[in-house]
Amino acid sequence: MPTRYYYYDYDYNNRTRNCSTTTTRSSLEPPDVPRLAQTARISLTPHEVEEFAPKIRQVIDWFGQLQDVDLDSVDPALRADSETGYLREDIPKTFKNRESMIAAVPSYDEPYIKVPKVLNKE
Amino acid sequence: MKSTHTQTATQEKQQPSPKIKSSPQSNQAKTRTLDRISKEYEAIIGIETHVQLSTLSKAFCPCPYIYGSQPNTSVCPICMGLPGALPVVNSKVVEFAVKLGLALNCKLSFYSKFDRKQYFYPDLPKGYQISQFDIPIATGGYLDVDLPVEFGGGHRRFGITRVHMEEDAGKLLHADDGEYSQEITFPIIYALQVDLNRAGVPLLEIVSEPDMRTGIEAAEYAAELQRLVRYLGVSNGNMQEGSLRCDVNVSIRPVGQSKFGTKVEIKNLNSFSSINRAIDFEIARQALLYSQGKADQIVQETRLWEEGSQKTVTMRKKEGLADYRYFPEPDLPEVILNKEYVDSIQSSLPELPEMKRRRYEEMGLSMQDVLFLANDINVARFFDATIEKGADVKLAANWIMGDIAAYMKNEKLTINEIKLSAAELAELIASIKGATISGKIGKEILFELMAKGGTVKGIIIEKDLVQIVDPSEIEKMVDKVLSENPKQLEQYRGGKTKLQGFFAGNENIERQGKSRAAEQDPFREIKCEKLNVLVRRNLVIMCHFISHRTIKSDFPGSTHLSSDICLLKGSRCCLCIIKSFALYSVYMSEAGF
Repeated sequence: MPTRYYYYDYDYNNRTRNCSTTTTRSSLEPPDVPRLAQTARISLTPHEVEEFAPKIRQVIDWFGQLQDVDLDSVDPALRADSETGYLREDIPKTFKNRESMIAAVPSYDEPYIKVPKVLNKE
Repeated sequence: MKSTHTQTATQEKQQPSPKIKSSPQSNQAKTRTLDRISKEYEAIIGIETHVQLSTLSKAFCPCPYIYGSQPNTSVCPICMGLPGALPVVNSKVVEFAVKLGLALNCKLSFYSKFDRKQYFYPDLPKGYQISQFDIPIATGGYLDVDLPVEFGGGHRRFGITRVHMEEDAGKLLHADDGEYSQEITFPIIYALQVDLNRAGVPLLEIVSEPDMRTGIEAAEYAAELQRLVRYLGVSNGNMQEGSLRCDVNVSIRPVGQSKFGTKVEIKNLNSFSSINRAIDFEIARQALLYSQGKADQIVQETRLWEEGSQKTVTMRKKEGLADYRYFPEPDLPEVILNKEYVDSIQSSLPELPEMKRRRYEEMGLSMQDVLFLANDINVARFFDATIEKGADVKLAANWIMGDIAAYMKNEKLTINEIKLSAAELAELIASIKGATISGKIGKEILFELMAKGGTVKGIIIEKDLVQIVDPSEIEKMVDKVLSENPKQLEQYRGGKTKLQGFFAGNENIERQGKSRAAEQDPFREIKCEKLNVLVRRNLVIMCHFISHRTIKSDFPGSTHLSSDICLLKGSRCCLCIIKSFALYSVYMSEAGF
């Protein structure tokens, strides 16, 4: 399974660039809907697969317009935002409305949340 | 969290020296097999450790974490993964990560980020774990380790590949199946229970280089990590509670081969000795398959260590490798460090175990002593403080490792909880060295200091324990006894030599055990303890004599054997006194005393 990474080969901590074009700059692959459904744990009928595939493709192609931008002269950002380093003090606080959260749990068996049996971890 | 900090030093002392428990016969066979294996195959071992941080609140929300609290009581929309909730990084987590990274001699990433590791499981409320994937906060370090003396000793240096921050998942328990059937049919069978108290608790994952070669090395690496996180105060590093978890990767290859063998992961290791035994077992298992030509039966898998049967077993086989679909966590900003921040943390680091061990070695202590004293940071601090007050190094070490450790173990106290202070220990050692008090009295004073506190000088004065070694003083006391008992003196002179004991006993009453036993010649010749110490056989005092004297009933060190008898601990009595005492009492009653 190829790792889908949209990074350059860039050393963020020394801010130097090792130039190489990665394979992800080439055109995006068409969506493999059955595999996507399996990964997202959503069950689809074969009819739904056929129906959804072109719609998903459309959305991907719309975002795919970004691939046309020339980024050779731009430093990759570690992240998209400009706000940095918002940290919280290590002070404990109990959440006041625990009851409503618990009430919203579909199957609660005091004091545990009950879930269906799972056969395999991932 | 606080309760786990009060583990005694001796409890921890047991940890770093894992002993292989098995019958002598299987031990022999095992040693033979391991010897043969070590000649033919080389084991490559790496360890992944998860350390639960002892912060007051969780990693990304302000919920507290208290081990053992009622399930699902410490939760909020963030750690329950409810829609719309956003994480906020706990600054303490970054601080602890930097602390540990520096202590492990790593290179810190001044810019790092969080990533989502995505998979579905009931104990993972968000459907992803916030972790760090490709840019961890620390990389490329090492850990220096001293192997226990009983396993041959020696130093090792093990590489650290990376340290990164992440959050813990909740806890999953199997419900009683009760009347539910095992098949999943309509309606859905609810057979698992989830407790989310632990979800979101901060973890540091430490990945080692595959530098370990034996079970002992791996176990000692884990023990050293535990020592380190406790020294730093970032975690209580408790394997039984789950605040220190180790997964081990083992592979073997024929000696001389450069290609690595197939790697097997082992989980469910709950103690350092399990780490040791599981690795030894796995090496033997793989070597056997190799030697039988079945090396291809070793597959890359996860095995569980079964404590009961003492072997590794296959977990259910996974279908292929998991695709975690890592991408940068969009809800969290970059983690940025600057030089001032890092430098301030560096300067706040305590003296680490490795430095301490080297320093203690240089002081001339034996490796055994070094490993004990440096194991618990509080014991080491106590020892250092005692030395600072001028106490002799070896004596201080002996007292701490002997009487003090025994008391702590009996009373289940830590060194910070006993009432003895380092200054007083130094004073005690000096007093004994300067012969102000005897060693035996010293032990009593120590007990008093540990149980009730106070000062050495105070207790000496209060209980009047100053050692009398001046011969003229002792002579005066002998004269007193002799003059007070003219009848017995006559009898003695008349031939009842057994009365020697009587005089010695009386003498003792006068001395009240302050001086050590001196050989006493009934006609005044006393040898000072300093010249010659001999324990008189009959240094037992009859209580019906005591009743005629003015001896306080709360005499230091007195033990009541019966309502009539008192044994002075201050005098140097052998335990055979008890026998001679029995004979003596018969004698005395016959003699009409």
